[in-house]
Amino acid sequence: MVDLIKRTKELLETSEVKVVIGYEQGSGNKTRALFVEKPEDADKLIFDSRCVQNLAAYVTKKEIKEKGKMAITATLPVMRSIIQLASEFQVNDSNLLVLGITPESKMIEFKNLVEVEAFVHQFQIEIDDRNKEMLDRLEKMTKAERWKFWIDELTPCFKCYACRAACPMCYCSRCTVDVNQPQWIPVSSDELGNLEWHIMRAIHLTGRCIDCDACYNACPLAIPINLLTKKMLVDAKEHFGGYQPSLKGDHLMSTYKPDDKENFIQ
Amino acid sequence: MSKIGVFVCHCGENISATVDCARVAETAGNYDGVAFSVDYKYMCSDPGQNLIKNAIKEQGLTGVVVASCSPRMHEPTFRKACAEAGLNPFMCEMANLREHCSWVHEKGEATTEKAIDLVRILVEKVKYNHSLNEIKVPVTKTALVIGGGIAGIQASLDIANTGHKVILIEKDPSIGGHMSQLSETFPTLDCSQCILTPRMVEVAQHPNITLYTYAELESLEGFIGNFKAKIRRKSKSIDEKLCTGCGLCTTKCPVKKIPSEFNEGLGKRTAIYVPFPQAVPNKPVIDRANCTYYIKGKCKVCEIVCPTGAIRFDQEDQIMEVEIGAIVIATGFTVKQPDFFPEYGYGKFPDVITGLQFERLASASGPTLGEIRRPSDGKIPEKIVFLACAGSRDPAKGIPYCSKICCMYIAKHAMLYQHKVHGGKSYVFYMDIRAGGKQYEEFVRRAIEDDGVNYVRGRVSRIYEKNGKLIVAGVDTLLNAMPVEIDADMVVLATAGVANEGAEELAQKLHVSYDPYKFFAEAHPKLKPVETNTAGIFLAGACQAPRDIPESVAMASGAAVKVAALFSKDELTREPIIAVVNRQAPPVYSSCVGCFLCVSACPYQAIEKEEIKNRNGEVIKSIAKVNPGLCQGCGTCVAFCRTKSIDIQGYTNEQMYTEVMALLNEY
Repeated sequence: MVDLIKRTKELLETSEVKVVIGYEQGSGNKTRALFVEKPEDADKLIFDSRCVQNLAAYVTKKEIKEKGKMAITATLPVMRSIIQLASEFQVNDSNLLVLGITPESKMIEFKNLVEVEAFVHQFQIEIDDRNKEMLDRLEKMTKAERWKFWIDELTPCFKCYACRAACPMCYCSRCTVDVNQPQWIPVSSDELGNLEWHIMRAIHLTGRCIDCDACYNACPLAIPINLLTKKMLVDAKEHFGGYQPSLKGDHLMSTYKPDDKENFIQ
Repeated sequence: MSKIGVFVCHCGENISATVDCARVAETAGNYDGVAFSVDYKYMCSDPGQNLIKNAIKEQGLTGVVVASCSPRMHEPTFRKACAEAGLNPFMCEMANLREHCSWVHEKGEATTEKAIDLVRILVEKVKYNHSLNEIKVPVTKTALVIGGGIAGIQASLDIANTGHKVILIEKDPSIGGHMSQLSETFPTLDCSQCILTPRMVEVAQHPNITLYTYAELESLEGFIGNFKAKIRRKSKSIDEKLCTGCGLCTTKCPVKKIPSEFNEGLGKRTAIYVPFPQAVPNKPVIDRANCTYYIKGKCKVCEIVCPTGAIRFDQEDQIMEVEIGAIVIATGFTVKQPDFFPEYGYGKFPDVITGLQFERLASASGPTLGEIRRPSDGKIPEKIVFLACAGSRDPAKGIPYCSKICCMYIAKHAMLYQHKVHGGKSYVFYMDIRAGGKQYEEFVRRAIEDDGVNYVRGRVSRIYEKNGKLIVAGVDTLLNAMPVEIDADMVVLATAGVANEGAEELAQKLHVSYDPYKFFAEAHPKLKPVETNTAGIFLAGACQAPRDIPESVAMASGAAVKVAALFSKDELTREPIIAVVNRQAPPVYSSCVGCFLCVSACPYQAIEKEEIKNRNGEVIKSIAKVNPGLCQGCGTCVAFCRTKSIDIQGYTNEQMYTEVMALLNEY
């Protein structure tokens, strides 16, 4: 952590970057995002196991981009998000510096996104055992049981869109739900409206979601909406091969490859 | 307020037999915004069209719904009628009451109800229609012809003779293709080269044709009327301007034992070579894979003997970029090669040869100067067997189709053999004789009746060697499946005609579709045989399916006319049913966030980046932009766009939503 604070100070003092995104102590036992613009504020930076919020969600925000070049404290999921965002032309080397945090909590500064990508590619995206078990359980249910499960889970959702705000991939300036000419997704938080919103969200994240669980962590009702994206991750892998965010931009869902199985269509 | 006219067609009895057309018209007349509604026996007839035109003028209609057949049939008719009456043609919609309703359902209440629904959704849609204008695209009036066989030659000459420029590229050192290898041609037995070479010379001399041999297509981008092609001109290692084609280098080259491609491996050639005497251009190339200098770094005999100093060992491949408006693919075919027929011993027994090799043996320019001699010992075969359908029509071999040309060339081969080897015996094993074509059947009968070729209906199970003879073990199905064994001196396999190696890659470079056998796919099997699904790219000859010479030539001329028609106008008009990325007032400019996932999703490479700049030239935002010349209106990008920033004109989100809601809502 000393490294991170020291480097943040240097970066800001030399004006190499204008803002460093990191974590600070929040209310209670929670951490929150910190945007360090003055070297003296760097001392507020912390990093520990509580820091799970995906900070990549901020790099596409207009208010932060306007400040100039950013540096970001990036855990593995954050780095994955950044690579995916770079492949979607939302960030690049000229506006973002990555201060990576290895799984062993060491800081490594990457010269460019190519280095970040190489680091990220050492690790596969794995769904943890607890969630795997949940997916298995869902898979074994009959259609009627599964329908009931999701209706029960999703009906309480009151569409606060915290999931959307927490997700680094939900950077669109106009979300599908905000389109009202025509209003494909109903705005009301009822059974149908909620279902449509969450299905749409999962579809839009397929082949882009890096499984950071930020949406689930942000949900005030702890609805397991991350199961939907996890299931899409598994299915996409089965039908279109593995998913690993890459700068090449060979997007899983929009790119045709001759070896795509496409067995869902038969 | 919309003023919509609904015109319900009976289509004779095609629709009215199961749908109560009068009721459909009456119900539609009560919808909000419908000012006029009528049913009529034939809406596509002149009086029917006048009904529409008059209603537009008299009622001041703002939209028209014609409830009749599929828009594939009469959409142009009704759009034109609307345009003639002063209404924008894209304010006309068609409800398909025939294919989607009357033809597929029984007469009854529900059928009429469905017809009413179909009309209602379009009445609601047309309220959201906007006037659209046809898109105009400029045309580059130069054609690229790929492949210099007879099809490519014919297409090039035909296009060039209409006054347009042609660039003809051929991957081999000479044009001529397979036809230049043939001895005589069916059904007239005239010499192939005698009829082909004048055309080859004409190509070389034509002021409108630029010929690049030893050249291949590297890449293609663009769209109909406006393609940009990169052509790789492989290094010939000679300076073509200096070379006089004297041929001294080819006689002095020390590497003399390379199997000649032109002679199908039956003859030999040198490392610096002209493929055949009548080659166009008649200038040699160095085959670098076999040249001693390129392998060992020493030799240069050709450079020493060349009187004009034309040898260029350090010459590199050139990449040329050309702008063209249309493309004719005429890359031809190939025949199945060794190892495909282990049961026939091809590749093991030197005297089992392919039909194409037989052509070389029978040709006066061939390795035996036209005498039929066995490749193994040079003896004249006294007994020869021809096998039709070697590979073709054999699903087990993966080639279920008929190669089409073999029945005819086998008859020709047998005939040539009988003419050249007096007293020789020839046998043909066949499945069926397919001799459909002008004078084709007569030709085969001549072989059987006049020249005494023995036709045996049956297949051959295997060929093996015994006492210096090739034993052909087959069956005669006309003699109650009696086994037949013939001790032949030579066997000719009519091996299946297949797509060229690399056809698939070429198709992908050109973005044209191909069939399971890698032959290029025509746009419609009957009505668009020379078009591909990619506008501006046409097909000629055996790259589309096995074809004989007359068919290849006819196809080439057909493709040439399509190109000429395209070049007859300075601008192309296209339907405006294309995708458009929305634009809004500053500071938003567009709801597009520039993720460019649409770029990778677009099957036509029609989407590019557009940079929105301020007055100082600084980029404020990068958004997607659809090239109207390339977009085919498929809608894949629309489905992909998370921000719903793309719409297909004429099929906008709003129009689709309205249609769905019109169906779901109660009336």
